[in-house]
Amino acid sequence: MVWDKEKIKSVLPHREPFIFIDEIIEIHGTEKVVAVKEVNRAEDYFKGHFPGNPVMPGVLMIEAMAQASIILFVLDRPEIAAADPDYYLGKVKAEFLAPVYPGDRLIVETNKVKFLDYAAITDVSAKVNDNVVAVANLVFSIQRK
Amino acid sequence: MNSNVENELRKMVAEIIEVPEEKLSVEADFFNDLNVDSLKAIEIVAAFEKKYRVVIPEKDIPTIRNLGQIVAYTKKLNIQ
Repeated sequence: MVWDKEKIKSVLPHREPFIFIDEIIEIHGTEKVVAVKEVNRAEDYFKGHFPGNPVMPGVLMIEAMAQASIILFVLDRPEIAAADPDYYLGKVKAEFLAPVYPGDRLIVETNKVKFLDYAAITDVSAKVNDNVVAVANLVFSIQRK
Repeated sequence: MNSNVENELRKMVAEIIEVPEEKLSVEADFFNDLNVDSLKAIEIVAAFEKKYRVVIPEKDIPTIRNLGQIVAYTKKLNIQ
């Protein structure tokens, strides 16, 4: 483990129950971050998605991808992140390739495409057991308060 | 006559900002005339960089405000 949950919380504005990154296991400079989301059966959303057939919602996979991407942005632009900006997801192009179930270890790999002080683009994949379960291209804005 | 590069760039930008190619004049200001926001702007930059395998220095980006200026930028980079 490279970053634990406490370190992640020191840079992400999110808090439970809406943190979808549990640890960072790889940091490749400012080009790539690999994060882990342990998909726990106890998570509240499984009660409704779906009763008796728990499947991780794709939108929450996107949220995990976005949070990993913020961490990569923070590594690339620490001086911008230090001002505690707001991060807004603006555009998502995604494909969901396989379902994710309770007990899965979701590996989220985010790669920098282009970062500016006020906007960013990442290419992200999510895997379970080395199988790609989702890919996405994210465009998000960074707005100083 | 429009150059091939200009036509390629018009097509690329028109797709990103979702306007018909015929409405994308070389003079139209991205931000004031075409409602390009910061997210669309970074998409244009990223698409340009990917297409021509170059990196636009961040300081140059605010100076590029219309299609004509992108075309001029390609000439500066000797893109044919």
